[in-house]
Amino acid sequence: MKYPQVYITGMGIISPLGIGCAATLSAITRDDKKISPLSLFPVLHGTPLPVGQIGEPISRDARLPRTHQLALIAAREALSGHNRPPDAIVIGSTTGGMPDTEKGLMAGIDDPDAYRFHATGSVGDHLAIILGCRGPVLTVSTACSSGTATFKIALELLRSGRATRVLAGGVDALCRLTYYGFNALQLIDPTGPRPFDRHRHGMAVAEAAAMLLLESSQTVPENAVAELLGAGLSCDAYHPTAPHPRGDGALAAMSAALTDAGISMSRIRDPIDYIHLHGTGTVDNDAAESVAIDRLFSHRIPAVSSIKGSTGHSLAAAGAVGAVVSALSIRHGLVPANTGLVEPDTRLPLCPVETPVHQPVRRALVNSLGFGGNNAAAVLGQIGSGNPVKTAHFPRALSILAHACRTGAGNTDATAECFRRGQSMAGQLSSAALSAGLPPATLRRLKRMPRMVLSLCETIRRKAAPASPQSVFLGTGWGALTETHRFLTQLFESDQRFASPIDFSGSVHNAPAGQAAIFFKATGPNLTLTGGDYSFEQALFTASLLARDGDPPCIVIGADEFHPDYSPLFDRSCRLARVPADGGGAFCLQDGKLPGQPSLHSLFYARTEENGENPEIISRLAAALDGRHSLSDKYSAILYGIPKCYDSLGNMQLKQFFSAINRQVPGIPYRSFTGEFATASAVATSLAVTLVQDQVVPSALTGTGSVDLGGRGILILGLGASVSAILVSP
Amino acid sequence: MENLIKELQIKIIDALDLVDVTPDDIAADEPLIGGKLGIDSIDVLELVMMVEKDYGVLIDNQELGTKVFASLGALAGFINENRVEKTR
Repeated sequence: MKYPQVYITGMGIISPLGIGCAATLSAITRDDKKISPLSLFPVLHGTPLPVGQIGEPISRDARLPRTHQLALIAAREALSGHNRPPDAIVIGSTTGGMPDTEKGLMAGIDDPDAYRFHATGSVGDHLAIILGCRGPVLTVSTACSSGTATFKIALELLRSGRATRVLAGGVDALCRLTYYGFNALQLIDPTGPRPFDRHRHGMAVAEAAAMLLLESSQTVPENAVAELLGAGLSCDAYHPTAPHPRGDGALAAMSAALTDAGISMSRIRDPIDYIHLHGTGTVDNDAAESVAIDRLFSHRIPAVSSIKGSTGHSLAAAGAVGAVVSALSIRHGLVPANTGLVEPDTRLPLCPVETPVHQPVRRALVNSLGFGGNNAAAVLGQIGSGNPVKTAHFPRALSILAHACRTGAGNTDATAECFRRGQSMAGQLSSAALSAGLPPATLRRLKRMPRMVLSLCETIRRKAAPASPQSVFLGTGWGALTETHRFLTQLFESDQRFASPIDFSGSVHNAPAGQAAIFFKATGPNLTLTGGDYSFEQALFTASLLARDGDPPCIVIGADEFHPDYSPLFDRSCRLARVPADGGGAFCLQDGKLPGQPSLHSLFYARTEENGENPEIISRLAAALDGRHSLSDKYSAILYGIPKCYDSLGNMQLKQFFSAINRQVPGIPYRSFTGEFATASAVATSLAVTLVQDQVVPSALTGTGSVDLGGRGILILGLGASVSAILVSP
Repeated sequence: MENLIKELQIKIIDALDLVDVTPDDIAADEPLIGGKLGIDSIDVLELVMMVEKDYGVLIDNQELGTKVFASLGALAGFINENRVEKTR
């Protein structure tokens, strides 16, 4: 069966160029430059730096952070003319509710309600509620490549038939964290960005939101603007902030995107007419990207330009802005100018377009290169320019080559032993224990969360050898809180005078996944999913979507740290818990069922409606288990997780589930053992693997005598605002 | 000057969490970056912040940074020439 084609049937954008596609097209036709000194919030010392700021007033709901408002404006435009909600939402964001969180922290507000939109995942959740989406809502926080990375996930959702209409894109609003953070890294050009100029000196931080409505169809939909032909991901696995000097990662992402689009460089002459460059204006980024393009296009380089001299760098939104602008390029036969370029850098092997050029663009390549060496590229084309050659892919079980977990009780074995005895493992493993076996030089700049991740990686490396993961999928509800706290505290206590570059580069949500990539030299896809209590589920779901037969193994990790100040403010369940707890789990996985190896199968993941009381989602879950997969007799026990803040909703869903499956199966509430933290499900999954290997659920867990699994597996249910099901099979 | 070098050795170890480095390991005349200490470009920027915070001395561009962070001795010399005495 061939892939259905994926069409862009709606686009939305709000950026410094203006609000909406029409204003954006006018601005790029005129070659507007929209860089100006920051005025969105006061700068307490020195001259405000140039930024890409949205000038128009946008406030519609003062209770919502700016990020959420921008996302909603772009989403509404993308969906205008459509009367059905999308089946799934995939949003890239690195800052989430940070603009409001900063204000709250500066004012010393300790009411957790002030931080209810802090999580990056709350942007997509909010969109889902407003738009009525009841399918999977995924949040990608893979730094500046997030926006483009969402298109890869969306493509796979559509190709696998798990969705037919996906809203995908990125958003970030200006905030102090990124404004001061990038400045601390001396990556800002005080005179404004001049990508690919001989005298370029850095970027301008910006804000924007851009979304695509993507639809799979065997025929061309009426309102199709362009096709999304393919996308590719890669990781430099080289350095936390600096790109690989020869552009290895950028080259790999572009090659993967072209291959995914069915484009063979050796067979098609000039397959790409326009490359929308990442081109931030930093010395190293522009050099690495140029070299990569030169290597890939073997000196026949198509028209290229970066618009970041005009818009600034809107981080997680940048790739999505690039996609909207490239779709406009295709539609209107317009190559945008590389604004800000005065004196081309003749040391670079490419020369961007200096003024807007009207010429046909049949296919465009969009590049995004981010912190942590995370790269993504997407290929867009005119309607009919696609080349559907591949067969459809349906996510299946992933074999477990190795697994590990960390909890307050200790490492994998200690945690499992504690669980078998029916005792709580809630607590915090000491930093020394988390650092055991890791080289001190590696740990030097790392605080709790990345140490936990590397500690898990170290166990996986040992247990999975000689297999070694080549791609990384990390789920984290809250990211590296210690680094974030250190950065913001120093910034605010010094009256915004001092910002630590080390803490900033460690605070980005994808920093631990970048560390994992360097640890394994994993140059494949590297994604960080930040969906609150469902972050691990999102990471596993995404890994299954992207996994292909014959691919090298991947590592799927879920990890969160407890922070005494931030965790109770941000995580409602943590606040209700008696004991501070954190931990994580990791799995080295290979696509397909290998004989003799246990497996993980991500069967179901979807969001509930706003009030959540509709049993419809549980019926859908039961149908998914019973119908398509006929898995109702594949498990003999259930581990279920209800985040404490969803106690009554989760328990109601659980009751509905048991009545729907109409079977007597022991159910074990795993959060009573792991404690309350966002990625408790990653620990539960590791525990389930151990029990499935034991083939016995001890009586201490069932309360009614031990249960022989009888050759069957364990179902892991996540309940609450989202509902998920993962099957662990022997 | 000697005191400043001693003070900086401790401050550098502290700012960069150089757990397995002793003050004497940071020699005044050896390259500060890229040597056995494992100090890289992000560390240098962290030291830029420390120098501004503790000595009121600004190192705000890469060209200057390359010169100033050539060695501990060069850093101490630059601070000595440019520092703002806070109390006198």
